[in-house]
Amino acid sequence: MKAQSPAVDNISRAAVLWQLIACIAVVLPLVSWLPAWVLVLGVACIGARLMIHSGRWSFPHWSIRLLLILAVGVGLLMTFNRDASLNAMVALLTVGLVLKLLEIYRRRDALVLLYVALFLATSVFLFEQGILVAVYMFFVVVLIVSALISVWQDPLREEMWRPFKLAWRMTLPAVPFMLVLFFVFPRIGPLWSVELDQSSARTGLSESMSPGDISRLTRSDELAFRAVFNDQPPAPSERYWRALVLSAFDGREWRPGSPPNTEVESLQALGGLIEYEVVQERSDQRWLFALDLPTEAPSRANLTPTRTLLASAEVSQRIQYTLTSAMHYQLGGALSDAEREFFSQMPSQSNPRSQAMAREWFDEVNQDVEQLIQRIFRHFNETFVYTLEPQSLGRHSMDEFLFDTQQGFCEHYASATAVMLRSVGVPARIVTGYQGGEWNASQNYLTLRQYDAHAWVEVWLEGQGWVRIDPTTAVAPERIEMSADQFFSGQDGFLADSPLTSRISRQGWLLQARMHYDSINFAWQRWVLNYHHQQQDVLQDWLGELTAWKMILVLLLPTGLVLGLLYWRLVRQQKPISPIEKRLKKLFEKLARQGLYRQPDETLTRFNRRIATTHPEYAEILAPIAQLYENMRYSSLDSEHYREDFCREIDKALTKIP
Amino acid sequence: MADVRVKQIRQACERLDQIILGKSQQIRLAVTCLLSSGHLLIEDLPGMGKTTLAHGLASVFGLNDSRIQFTSDMLPADILGVSIFDQENGRFVFHPGPIFTQLLLADEINRTTPKTQSALLEAMEEGQVTQDGETRYLPQPFFVIATQNPLTQFGTFPLPESQLDRFLMRINLGYPSAEAERALLKRGDQYSRRDPIDAVISSAELAEAQKACQTVHASADLIDYVQRLVQYTREADSFSYGVSPRGALALLRCAKSWAWLDDRQHVVPEDVQHVLEAVVGHRIRAAEDMAGHTSSRLVNELLTSVDVMATG
Repeated sequence: MKAQSPAVDNISRAAVLWQLIACIAVVLPLVSWLPAWVLVLGVACIGARLMIHSGRWSFPHWSIRLLLILAVGVGLLMTFNRDASLNAMVALLTVGLVLKLLEIYRRRDALVLLYVALFLATSVFLFEQGILVAVYMFFVVVLIVSALISVWQDPLREEMWRPFKLAWRMTLPAVPFMLVLFFVFPRIGPLWSVELDQSSARTGLSESMSPGDISRLTRSDELAFRAVFNDQPPAPSERYWRALVLSAFDGREWRPGSPPNTEVESLQALGGLIEYEVVQERSDQRWLFALDLPTEAPSRANLTPTRTLLASAEVSQRIQYTLTSAMHYQLGGALSDAEREFFSQMPSQSNPRSQAMAREWFDEVNQDVEQLIQRIFRHFNETFVYTLEPQSLGRHSMDEFLFDTQQGFCEHYASATAVMLRSVGVPARIVTGYQGGEWNASQNYLTLRQYDAHAWVEVWLEGQGWVRIDPTTAVAPERIEMSADQFFSGQDGFLADSPLTSRISRQGWLLQARMHYDSINFAWQRWVLNYHHQQQDVLQDWLGELTAWKMILVLLLPTGLVLGLLYWRLVRQQKPISPIEKRLKKLFEKLARQGLYRQPDETLTRFNRRIATTHPEYAEILAPIAQLYENMRYSSLDSEHYREDFCREIDKALTKIP
Repeated sequence: MADVRVKQIRQACERLDQIILGKSQQIRLAVTCLLSSGHLLIEDLPGMGKTTLAHGLASVFGLNDSRIQFTSDMLPADILGVSIFDQENGRFVFHPGPIFTQLLLADEINRTTPKTQSALLEAMEEGQVTQDGETRYLPQPFFVIATQNPLTQFGTFPLPESQLDRFLMRINLGYPSAEAERALLKRGDQYSRRDPIDAVISSAELAEAQKACQTVHASADLIDYVQRLVQYTREADSFSYGVSPRGALALLRCAKSWAWLDDRQHVVPEDVQHVLEAVVGHRIRAAEDMAGHTSSRLVNELLTSVDVMATG
């Protein structure tokens, strides 16, 4: 027979509950990233474990477990199509975790489970790094530590809350260490990099623009970028965030094209400059966002000839850059013939009615470009409708828009304006980007979301260069004056693809709360998640020249803090020690050196009686002390009376005992 | 120079030592219990000398005693007494039950039903019996020695905690040592129940001794020690419940009597330690123990966990 000691290796029932809690807590933040069947399996396994826990079911037979493992393996292969992506790995870990729940018999099984849970907890940060998730994961770690403690608990003791309390007491002292490590631990680049969820599509501006593209973006409130200003931001009507310039038109779609000029168009600032910092979310595209118009490109990005910013690589994670923009400017000096031709080219067959009308109007206003623009805007203002859900348009999209549907979104108006200008040979181009933004006054930053996406026109006016005109102001000036958020709220189709919570939290105290949360999250992103960019500077500021011993000192700081706190608590609990106690302590220390230890339940008298048998020489010395001690502490006579005698006797004894 | 009463009581102890061999510690505890005016519960297997000890105690202290052998069909009236209609006088006459005595030996108290148990324990607490609307006082001193078999034995009704608390002490006799047992076997069963043992003290003198016991001085440090012991039983994880204030009072009371028997005018911690298991053992329960059989281990933990020499 195999020698087994069931009591040693068993885990308590409370420990099983803690493991379940820890598992649920760690899988919860991963829910949206896991395939549905993994979640179903998880719920089933937890349910089964509860049934086993309550004694209604027994542990599954090994054949059932084998079957489950095979089925899950096939399921993973089919779901992820043999693609070793991050999601697949996390799903594999999750599946392993929940299946392990079904075979926790002994302490070793529980430990495996909890170590996997800890690993899974760190992998949550691959998907989300928000402050709420970070706080939540701290709780999860406390829960896992509770479960680990409960595993080592006496199985006979059913104490549910003791491990939890202990876990807090163990985890909280780790916080100072965590902070110091956060600040000083060197950020080493990854040894290998994993492509984070490449599959999921990003919403955002695309490289081309056809009718309906931008209005589709208003269905999302996903964050595009934030811009931090030192003081006041520009007025809402001046917040044009330039991303792309589209110059090539095929009758329906606008594309960037390749302008013949390769030099950056010259910029002459006509007023003050404004400096700001942009924190851009991941977009998987190369372009960056700048207020009209940026004076120069940030590091690792270039200015294109049309003065948009292009990063050297795709923005595959959140980035941060500082920009300076001229709010009033003259863009471009002179236009060469090739450029003039490029910026006014369009397929001659397309949109014939629009072209004809443009030419007619141009003649009406005596070939004055500015008056033509006025005429077009007036036309928009008379009968046109600004809507989030325009009807779809066919091949001659602008003809249909201008003469039939007469309803559209900013891209329709911008496109129609540019087409009509080009019809009469005036150079014009489309600029896409964002307009407006939500101002957070407490933290001085603007938040630009996908629904702030916008398109406008730049027209070449002799002597003025490229001038920004926004046809949307003609049909819906409020869109520019207010934020897109305020303007669209309540309209059909606005935020149609966003969660219900983001649709209802746009008024009253909910809005306030959302703004506060947003600013906290933004601060978290700038100062915590992006800290690795600033680490060198921050450390330099705090510590001056970095030397090895300074680093060691800083690392020792939390140790000192925790030990100091413990020492302080210890000292506070101790009472001042009396001369008698001091002498007794010394006496017992000396006796202990002789191998004589007093048990806590022994009075001096009993202790003396015990050592008399083995060490009569010491007992003789101790006898008067014991008698005096008893009289001093327990007799009805005044203890002061004995105190002096006792001190004298014990001093005498101390000299006699080596 | 020992007190006269102390001498008398010690003499009584010596006599008892001759009757029950090798159990001087338990005899001294029983006498301490009597001196503290408390009731005694002796818990042990049959044939360990429980009844002999009870009889001996009654004899040496000159108390009149009676004995009730508890059975499962016993009723409260069997203990307290019953009023019977007297045809000659035409009225009810109360016939006092065995409880109207100075020392009552309640044999195998856990054999009877809770109803009868509680009738006895009521009387123990109040020192009086109320029946048919008339209150009758029990004689003084009134001392109950109950014996019981360990609860694991078949067919017993365990006393609930609240009633265990009525007993000042609970002691186990235990098997005699080899030497004592040899002496016992040599001597044979010569001390039968009928053999008279001379009383060494009158009940008036006993009352005097009882009063004297409580004049023994307990210093602030000693009271502090008792309090720390009691506090430990309430706070330590290994206890499911701790000692009540009544238990704490009982502990000090018994320690005083023990000290008095030593002819000392003040209580020392050793006195407390001597009576601790007997006084506290049946008032505590280990956290994982449902039947209450681990009190000895628990008392040991209590003793070794509370530093007797601590100050503060």
